[in-house]
Order: sequence, then C-alpha cells, then structure tokens
Amino acid sequence: MSCSDPSEAASGAEPRWAPSKAAVRVDLERTFTFRNSKQTYSGIPIIVANMDTVGTFEMAAVMSQHSMFTAIHKHYALDEWKLFAANHPECLPHVAVSSGSGKSDLEKMSSILEAVPQVKFICLDVANGYSEHFVEFVKLVRATFPEHTIMAGNVVTGEMVEELILSGADIIKVGVGPGSVCTTRTKTGVGYPQLSAVIECADSAHGLKGHIISDGGCTCPGDVAKAFGAGADFVMLGGMFSGHTECAGEVIEKNGQKLKLFYGMSSETAMKKHAGGVAEYRASEGKTVEVPYKGDVENTILDILGGLRSTCTYVGAAKLKELSRRATFIRVTQQHNTVFS
Amino acid sequence: MPHIDNDVKLDFKDVLLRPKRSTLKSRSEVDLTRSFSFRNSKQMYTGIPIIAANMDTVGTFEMAKVLCKHLAASSGMGSSDFEQLEQILEAVPQVKYICLDVANGYSEHFVEFVKDVRKRFPKHTIMAGNVVTGEMVEELILSGADIIKVGIGPGSVCTTRKKTGVGYPQLSAVMECADAAHGLKGHIISDGGCSCPGDVAKAFGAGADFVMLGGMLAGHNESGGELIERDGKKYKLFYGMSSEMAMKKYAGGVAEYRASEGKTVEVPFKGDVDHTIRDILGGIRSTCTYVGAAKLKELSRRTTFIRVTQQVNPIFSDDS
Repeated sequence: MSCSDPSEAASGAEPRWAPSKAAVRVDLERTFTFRNSKQTYSGIPIIVANMDTVGTFEMAAVMSQHSMFTAIHKHYALDEWKLFAANHPECLPHVAVSSGSGKSDLEKMSSILEAVPQVKFICLDVANGYSEHFVEFVKLVRATFPEHTIMAGNVVTGEMVEELILSGADIIKVGVGPGSVCTTRTKTGVGYPQLSAVIECADSAHGLKGHIISDGGCTCPGDVAKAFGAGADFVMLGGMFSGHTECAGEVIEKNGQKLKLFYGMSSETAMKKHAGGVAEYRASEGKTVEVPYKGDVENTILDILGGLRSTCTYVGAAKLKELSRRATFIRVTQQHNTVFS
Repeated sequence: MPHIDNDVKLDFKDVLLRPKRSTLKSRSEVDLTRSFSFRNSKQMYTGIPIIAANMDTVGTFEMAKVLCKHLAASSGMGSSDFEQLEQILEAVPQVKYICLDVANGYSEHFVEFVKDVRKRFPKHTIMAGNVVTGEMVEELILSGADIIKVGIGPGSVCTTRKKTGVGYPQLSAVMECADAAHGLKGHIISDGGCSCPGDVAKAFGAGADFVMLGGMLAGHNESGGELIERDGKKYKLFYGMSSEMAMKKYAGGVAEYRASEGKTVEVPFKGDVDHTIRDILGGIRSTCTYVGAAKLKELSRRTTFIRVTQQVNPIFSDDS
C-alpha cells in the first residue's frame, strides 16, 4: 500500500458484523508487560504529550482518575515534583519523568527518580532519534535504571525501532513532523506519513516484544481509533488536550473569545522560555497558536473514549486489544460530508 | 502525434525525506559550504550554494551584500543583451559569473547564443537556462555552459503553466537533469518552486548543486521596490519577470503578439532578510542531521524520498 496520513487517505475501519451489545461494554484498558524493564502496566493507553502546555501535574491528576497516562514535561523543578508526589500519590503509577539527551536533563531526571521512587516510567525525547549519540544515551539510561520502563524516540522506521529496543528501550515513540504545532516538515522536508509509520513500526516492535506510541497527528477521536487500529499500543496527544483548564498558561480574552496559548517544544516561544532564544545555527521547528478555551479536560476525555468505544463496536472488538486485529482500512478520497462545514 | 507520458512526475509537495541513522550530535556540526570546479570555465567556487534569483525585485545589490556575509553566493548577473553584458564585464572584471536567462531554453537560437558567449568569455562561469529535461541539459553543457538552470513554471509569480500549459514537476526535473549534468561533470541550479526551507532541502536532496530562490526572499528590506502601507499592514511588490509589470518597466509594455507569463503580488513585509536566511540555513542543517549528512554534499547520497498524500497537519493552519 502507499504511504498516507490518517486524515487524508486511509480512513475509517470497515464495519464488520459485530456480536457486541452496547458501546458501554467495550473494555479500553490494556495490560502490558514490558520487554526490558519486566514491569507490568494496566490502564487506558492514551498519553498526554510531554509538552510544557499540556504535560502538567494538573492534567495528570485528572488523567489518572481515568487510568490514562501523562508524560510530565521536563521543565518542573525537583521541589515541584516532591510536592506533587506528596499531594497526589495516586497519580504516580500513571506518569513518566521526561528528559532530553543532555547531561543536565539526565542529572535532573535522576534526582527526581531518586526522590520519588514510585515513578516507574522514563520518557527520553529528542527531535531526532536517529543519532548514534541517542542510542548510546538510551543504553546509559538503561544501565542506570534497570527496572524503569523507558519510552524513547522519536523515529518512524522499523530498523530504528528495533535498534532502540535492543539498546534497552521498552516503548518507542513514533512520529516525525505530524504534530499540529510542529513545523519540521516545512523547515526540513523530513517526515513520514503517520499511519504508515505506525503500521511499519508496530510490526518491528511487536516482533521483539516491544511496544510503540503513536505520537502526533491525531486531530479527532477517529484519528486516535485509526492509530490503535494500525497497531499502536499507546497513543500520545498534544493538540487535542490543548486549551483546557488543566493546561499551563493563562486564559487570554480577545474580542470576547477566550483563548489559550499552545506551541511546539521547538518553537521560538518554547526556546525563548527555556533556552533563552533560538541559537544562531538553527531554525525554530514549531509554531505558536491560540486555541479556543475548552473548559475542563474531562469532557474531551469522555468524547475521545466514547468515540473509541464506538469504533470498537463497529468493527466487533470487545476489547481495545482486539481493535488492530479487527481493523481493515479503506482508502478514501474524503473524510466527511463537507456541505455544512 | 500527441503522446501521453504515463510516468508519474513529482513536485516538492509530493514527498518527504526519510530519516536515517546518523552520528551527528548537533545541527551545528553540519557544513553547508560546497566547493565546485566548473567544467568549461575551469573556475573554482566555494560557498553555500543558494542563489538569489535574477529578478529585479530580489536580485538586487542590497541583497547581494547580505548574502555575501552568509553565503558568499553571487546574485545572478542577469542580462541576455550581449552588448550590455560586454560593457558590464569590461567595467567590472571581478565578476566571474554570467547568467544567461531566457524563458525557453529549448530554442536553437539560445544554443548558438551560449556558444557565442562562451567564445567571447572563455574563463567566465556561465549559467544558462531554463530547461527541464536531461537531453537539453547535455546540449547546453556541450555548448559551453557550466551550470544549467532547471525549472519551467514552478515559480510563485510565474504563470507559464496557466498561460501555455507547458511545464514539468520540479522535483522530477531536478532529479533527471542532475543525473544528466553530473554525467558530463556539469552542474545544475534548481530554479523556482521552493516555498519553505523544507523545499530547499528537497531540491538539494534531489541532486541540485545550487538552489535559486525568488519568492522566499521577496518582501524584505533588501528587496527592490518601495514599501506600501495599507490598513496598517506593510507590503512590498513582487512580480514575475514576464509579468505585465516587468514588461512595462523594461520593454514599454506587453507586445501585441504575446501574453504576460507572470503575475504581480503584494507580499507582507518581512524586515531584514538576515532572519529569513538563518531560518533557511537552520532548516537545511536540521535536514542534514536527520538523514545523517555531515556536509551538504552528502545530502543527496543520503536521500530517500517517501511519497506522501499530505505535508503537514492542517488543524491549526488558519491561525498561522
């Protein structure tokens, strides 16, 4: 098949004869045992992205009530982590500490994991997961934390998924450039259509008993369903969780409309905030948008989970785990009837 | 006989580059300068091979001053008028490049013209074009040109495709022409069709030795033309060199027997070109680290294009 992004070519799973009763009965929880950490995890495998706007402690407090996961962004200080751990011990099984591949990131992450030993997940996130330097970094983290579950990325092709799993990562983040506030594709021309990337990377990971996260490119609950249908074990969302009460930043009022800022972590906004500006030799690879304020994230969560349950009943999957086995994609030329949009 | 070529030909928007394993640690490790030795002039050139188009709006002396700092690239000396060319080159012997630019590089007359210029200026490096197919690249190189300009109709203010129906998808044109040129130790310029830094990277990835930019450099302080203010927003005029605007300016109007093949647009004013250039170079450095190319020269060897149906996630594109 040819390569395609979720929103354009490949679409909705074909309905199949479904013995199922109501959407309510569909079980969205999954249980995983990770290849390298040997840890077991149960929950609804949707992850809030480790971006400083959405990957917040406030978000994690709501997500954990639904047994959903939050990759906490890397810019919280150690003391903020300690306070969060004391106030919300119930959240700790459903969060990850994030880190880039720099030395200061690693030191900070190590101090957090030492202070809050209940956190069992590490999210190692770099723009370009293809560098040998990153492979070495994953090996180093695995050696230092043999029993933590390591998420690592981002990559988009099978051979690199295999390399990172064999280097000690448990869950590989898949996606280069699909995000709503990512401009990597216009700035560099590099990228891979997300649906095809998920299908190919899931195949490589599952062959080694590893797992993948589809990271980026979902614009609606249907896209989340397609990512799971394509074989993603987890789906990471940024833009869909932006603009809520639990997101960082103030609500802005403009022309009577309430808005919140949302931006990519390589945007000029983020680089100014955390690195003092865009370095001379590089271009920003993200943008900043004002998204309409959507209130509490609870409604959005119910909308996504409701959509996903409905997908499962359409294709006859009683559990989320069965979705990819029941998924047949049909290539389409239009997603929806545009007459009233 | 009418003939339909069923091979699919692609544009920049139809592909993305596949990331590859890399030993680079940082974008700052990437070297964007290249050195070329030209086939016919035997001259050497070292610099970042990005060229401001020889359009009167962007190929200005002011632009050249800024580009020199970054790129040491020469803005094209545009003039196909033989006598004017002789006068300029005699007056300023330091200029070593001649850019011979005609709308239709396929005419026999142009081939003869290239031969004449080569005879008159044996040691100048000659850029000639525009063409889009391998056999014509070979013809022009064998006639004395060093660097062939590739592109018919891809430019942002070019209306050749609409007015004439003639053209060739730019990515395929670059790949085919680069192959033809490199076989003869010649070089090519991908001229037109780049709308973002990623497109520039794709042109180099496809085998272009140089990339020429017009629209991406338009609307800056260093661009030609006055600043226009309307509704509190600032604009600058940008137009194709075969547009009615350009023909009025230099030829006293559009001749009776021809149509204009360019349009005029008002582009939002973008300030100093320095910022845009840094954005382009930063983007290409990032591309090189994604595919594991330590030098720009290696980029095309490390390039695998993936055919795609969509370039970017459009969900927030109204806000940008």
